[in-house]
Amino acid sequence: MEPTLKDKVEELIRENPVLLFMKGTPEQPQCGFSMRVVQVLENYGVEYGAVDVLPALQPLREVTAEISDWQTFPQLYVNGELVGGADIVEEMDESGELAGLLGVEQPERPAMSAKQELKADDPQQSPPIQIER
Amino acid sequence: MAISNDEVRLMIEASLPGATVEVVDETGTQDHLRATVAAPQFEGLSRIEQHKLVKQAVQTRFDDGSIHALSIKTSVPE
Repeated sequence: MEPTLKDKVEELIRENPVLLFMKGTPEQPQCGFSMRVVQVLENYGVEYGAVDVLPALQPLREVTAEISDWQTFPQLYVNGELVGGADIVEEMDESGELAGLLGVEQPERPAMSAKQELKADDPQQSPPIQIER
Repeated sequence: MAISNDEVRLMIEASLPGATVEVVDETGTQDHLRATVAAPQFEGLSRIEQHKLVKQAVQTRFDDGSIHALSIKTSVPE
C-alpha cells in the first residue's frame, strides 16, 4: 500500500530528533513566526530537519491536527514530541528549558547583527526535506 | 472582520474559570492579538497543552476569520 502523507510525516518525526515544520526554508523563511524559530535553532547550532509546509499546506494542517492536535505552523518536534510554535520555542529558549530538551548548553544570546552574520556563512543546517503530495 | 480585545478576554475567562487574562492588539488591526493568561488549570501541563486550552477557547473566532494570529503566553498563577 502507498504510504499516506500521515505515514510520511510520522516517519519524519520519528527519524529526525529535531524537526521543524515551517513556511519556507531556513534560508528563506516565508513567515515571521517560522523565521523566529529558525533563529533560535541556529543559535543552538543543533542539526535539525526542516520541512517547508507551503507546497502542501492544507493537507499538512489536517495531518498534524490528527497527529498532535495542532494545525498552525511553525511546529517544532523534539524526540518525537511536539514542543510548540514560535511563542513556546522563544519562551523555552529564554527560560533555559529548550537547552535541556535539546541536550545542549544554553548558548550566548547573539546580538542581532551577529546573528545575521552567523546565518550568512554558516551552512550547518541540513537541507530542507521535501514532502510530495 | 475583527474582534475586540475584551471579547477575546471574556471567551478565555469563560473557558478557564479563575484565569487572569490580558489581551492586547499587536498590530492596531484587531486581528493579530497577544493574550497573556495565568490559569490554575495549567498546573502540571506542558506548554503546548496550555496553549491548546487557550486556543480552544477562541477557536470559533479563528474559524470564522476574526483572528488571524494569536500570540499566547501562559503561566500558572503563584
